[in-house]
Amino acid sequence: MSRVMVVAGKEVRQLVKSRNVMLSAFLFVVVFGVFTGPAVLAGAGGPEQVMDTLGFYLVLTLGIFMGYLFTAQVFLREKQEGVIETLLCAPLSLRELWLGKVLGVTIPAAILTYFSAVLIVIAGSLFTGYTLVPSLPVLFHIIVVVPAFIAAASGLLGFVQFILGMRENQILNFVIIFAIIFLISFTRELIGPAFSVTWAVVGAAFGLALGIILLTAWLTRFLSRERIVTTLPE
Amino acid sequence: MLDGLTFSVDKGEVFGFLGPNGAGKTTTMRILLGLLGPMSGTATVLDADLSRDDEMRKRVGVLMENNGLYDRLTARENLEYYARLYEVSKPVDRVTELLDFVGLTDRGRDMVGNFSTGMKRKLGIARAILHEPEIVFFDEPTSGLDPEAQHMVRELILRLSHAGSMTVFLNSHNLDEVQRVCSRVAILHQGRIRALDSVRHLTSAGQKTGFSVTLADPSQAGEAEGIISSLGGIGELTWNDTVLGMVLVTTPANEVISALVKNGILLEEARMQKRSLEEIYLDVMRQAEGGAA
Repeated sequence: MSRVMVVAGKEVRQLVKSRNVMLSAFLFVVVFGVFTGPAVLAGAGGPEQVMDTLGFYLVLTLGIFMGYLFTAQVFLREKQEGVIETLLCAPLSLRELWLGKVLGVTIPAAILTYFSAVLIVIAGSLFTGYTLVPSLPVLFHIIVVVPAFIAAASGLLGFVQFILGMRENQILNFVIIFAIIFLISFTRELIGPAFSVTWAVVGAAFGLALGIILLTAWLTRFLSRERIVTTLPE
Repeated sequence: MLDGLTFSVDKGEVFGFLGPNGAGKTTTMRILLGLLGPMSGTATVLDADLSRDDEMRKRVGVLMENNGLYDRLTARENLEYYARLYEVSKPVDRVTELLDFVGLTDRGRDMVGNFSTGMKRKLGIARAILHEPEIVFFDEPTSGLDPEAQHMVRELILRLSHAGSMTVFLNSHNLDEVQRVCSRVAILHQGRIRALDSVRHLTSAGQKTGFSVTLADPSQAGEAEGIISSLGGIGELTWNDTVLGMVLVTTPANEVISALVKNGILLEEARMQKRSLEEIYLDVMRQAEGGAA
């Protein structure tokens, strides 16, 4: 097994054992999944279009939130507790460490996000009285693009958490949490009722996610053990 | 800040790195481990710069102050994780062996978060040596432990150094611990090495050797003092109850004993008085602070 997979496996195992974190994530997914039912009926453009719009932005936002929640556990907590210093002495490169952690965040976050998508479809179908299935571009978006975005967000945030001190990270966390709340609350109003999810939109989103992943992977070459160690809490 | 630090550690040696808080011990260790870069000069471990060589780290073990363990994983899961990172062959067997070595076989399936400080330290030691490194760095291994756990950790370190040719770099300000387990020490103060020698040499050679004899019959005190004075090469004779203390300048201890016994002096005990590492350390600190002032 490659060292990247060893790190990823450990992160997944540790996340699954973090009952409080998993419970928060699960509740978040259930609440947002179930309460979307009325939105499907109330939204302009018909239930199918609302379902597609929700499948596009709400599932994406929930996925990014899961990624954010788990990144704090996987990257920041290790730094906060100082365990990272021992890991930096192990025979693995910083890029392997970063990539293993990103995978360790993405896998459980994607699984929970799929679950949220299923709940949204079930809730919408129950409220409309017939089976609502997202369009093909939205299904592709949920299955492929959302995990890519989780990896992109987690990778970028994890990289930043590696290089910043603990106080800067606290400030960053506040900014991110407010940004996510804003996204969940106002995205639908911002994108407007005329918005429809096409292959072009999904493709552009996928390209953006891959671009962020590649950019962050390239940035990890500037990551140094010294930077991480000198930003550890006293 | 470190200043002109130059030292080397021999293979198989237990090397003590002493100094007060803030002297630069942890910084030195981090530089050696490739976690920090020196502003000038070089730092190599096993002839390699660990900051540039990921694979060389397989040959090095580290126990930092926080043990490098995950509270939400079991003892076994923690060790198996590191065993796989270090590509240990038969990781499950090796982990079983090490849990036994540190006396935690029964706790292998328990969460590390429920362990006492001493148990975490033991597990941390097991983690540091599970890939059988050629050199292992210990940072304050007995810090925060109760006396029993301190004794256990010291025994573990001695077992390691005796068991194979593992080199041990011990970062500590526990002088008693260093004197018990280390063969050579460096004493650091404000980033500079103030003393670097074997423990044996530091505690005896270069110093006037103290020696004392306890008389079985206190009435022979005057006679004994006369005999010793006549030998020459002895200074600073002192009396304390039945104990006659002296400093051996040129005359060896066996000649003193021989002269006393030949002249019918009854001895209860004879004892060499070596300086402890603590006394030497305090002297070095005083000199360093005097120099700095």
